[in-house]
Amino acid sequence: MSPDAAHAANIRLTPEEEDVLAGSEGPVLQRVMRTVVQYGEALGAERLVDISGDGHLVIAYAIPGIAPSLEMLEELVAAGLRTKYPFTLDPRPPLDYDNWALDAQQVAVLDGMYRDQARYEDLLLQLGARDADAYTCRPFLEEVGNTPKSGDILAWSESACVVYANSVLGARTNRNGAIMDLLCNVAGKVPLSGLLDDGARRATWRIDVKTADLPLPQLLGAAIGRRVLADVPLVSGLERFLSADLDAPTRDYLNEMGTACATAGAVGLFHVEGITPEAVAQGMDILAADHRTYVIDEDVLADLSASYPVLWRDRDARPEKCYLGCPHISLEQIEWWARSISAALSEQGQARIKVPTTLCAAPQTLARLGADGSAMRDLEAAGVMLSAGCPMQLFDNDLAAGSAIITNSTKLRTYTNARFFPDRRIVEILVGGDI
Amino acid sequence: MLLTFKGRPVLPGNVTGVAVVSHGGFNTYASFFESIHGPSDEAICADSGNGDLFGRDLADKVICVPSSTGSTSGGAVWQRLIEMGNAPRAMLFSKAIDSLAAGGLIVADLWTGRRIVVVDRLGDAFLETVVHGDAITIGDDGGVVIRRTGA
Repeated sequence: MSPDAAHAANIRLTPEEEDVLAGSEGPVLQRVMRTVVQYGEALGAERLVDISGDGHLVIAYAIPGIAPSLEMLEELVAAGLRTKYPFTLDPRPPLDYDNWALDAQQVAVLDGMYRDQARYEDLLLQLGARDADAYTCRPFLEEVGNTPKSGDILAWSESACVVYANSVLGARTNRNGAIMDLLCNVAGKVPLSGLLDDGARRATWRIDVKTADLPLPQLLGAAIGRRVLADVPLVSGLERFLSADLDAPTRDYLNEMGTACATAGAVGLFHVEGITPEAVAQGMDILAADHRTYVIDEDVLADLSASYPVLWRDRDARPEKCYLGCPHISLEQIEWWARSISAALSEQGQARIKVPTTLCAAPQTLARLGADGSAMRDLEAAGVMLSAGCPMQLFDNDLAAGSAIITNSTKLRTYTNARFFPDRRIVEILVGGDI
Repeated sequence: MLLTFKGRPVLPGNVTGVAVVSHGGFNTYASFFESIHGPSDEAICADSGNGDLFGRDLADKVICVPSSTGSTSGGAVWQRLIEMGNAPRAMLFSKAIDSLAAGGLIVADLWTGRRIVVVDRLGDAFLETVVHGDAITIGDDGGVVIRRTGA
């Protein structure tokens, strides 16, 4: 027996899984199953469990090193394999150039980087992508419809989606990496380990939010993530401001907070006292006996914000561009931006904003926005561009390095040189044109 | 001077190499962000947030870390590095391997047929002992021997 075979033998498989591992369904699915079994062994899983809901995968970009190779996808397709359930994916790259105010050099570079994107998306459709509009990092919005049920067993990737599915929807998924996410969904199996287990879902931190007002979710999440890293926090104090029935503003808030938690640390699950489902069901019993406590007040958040470096070539530059909607924002959030920008323009007697701005949302959200009318008209009149793409992908080359880009996103700030500002300050900058 | 540690062989193999060491979490995507675009003999660490490794060449090295962090996009990086010829020889984790690193390294191993040797659970004392430039010998039983040059 090879060392690998001995290694894999420690996990307990069903007769059906053993058959697939022995090659009963062909050599490609055999290799898929072997990959998933070995993954389980590495994570210390005793067995595999069946995936029970749609997938969400991070691999939306046809760039080798970020996505599986075309050859690998073609091998899976040629073997007739597809995922057990349909899947959604992260947003498309920003190939709708008109919505990003790109110059010719940037367009040429992006054309080259994504020359295989159409073929790649065709292969993903054959492997189980839900449809041609399955690309967003807010798959759980009502209009998108990939909304897991409480208790669903999933193999999701994209840290922002994993943390929301676990925390707000009560589903169960680990932070799976690119490619392994696809292979688990093809096998229809995932190792029973980590956040799929009850024990790993107890809170080992209590975060005591003592601010007088509801803090910015992007800052609060970053403060939590930096402190707890990959641990599970129970956040207390937000019940003073947020709705216990998880209404739309509360869901938006928790989505932004969770994304920032996952970016600044590696948080895959949080609980919010009196609000998120497992915290409501278990009360304070959800706290591990030996948990630690971290108090967050206005001073903590101000210190965090002040610690963000300015990575622009010229720190005193006027902002060249603004990217909003990382993660993708909801219809209600878009309407807030439309109202706020229109009011600020009206106050200044101005027609249009002075900083080229792209606001990102799911294709289905943008379709609803168009059907509803007024917010879309206000944004277009103000000069705001709308896209279903992902601003992060503009930084996968050197063309945006050092540019004076502003954002309200902790995630974009962390992975790029974009400079972070709170939402209301962004509105002022867009209208005034400088900082 | 020889120092011996024992971990769990996740992807076993017998290999020797030179250590590079990160005492903080290893952000796979950020570290190799600039190393995945074409064939190269080098893999210069691009993670400016990692003071231990930023600017060091990670190709062909034995990378010693506590665990991995960062974007789930990092899963595909290992496969690409192997194809480009600038992968590390081995990854040594002081803690239990995390899902992101495990998934990426196992996929790379089984779908390229070329191995980056992986050992985890080497313990905090391993990471407190090993330093940049140490000569490392790894056995397929998870044994790790540090040979301190000049000591």
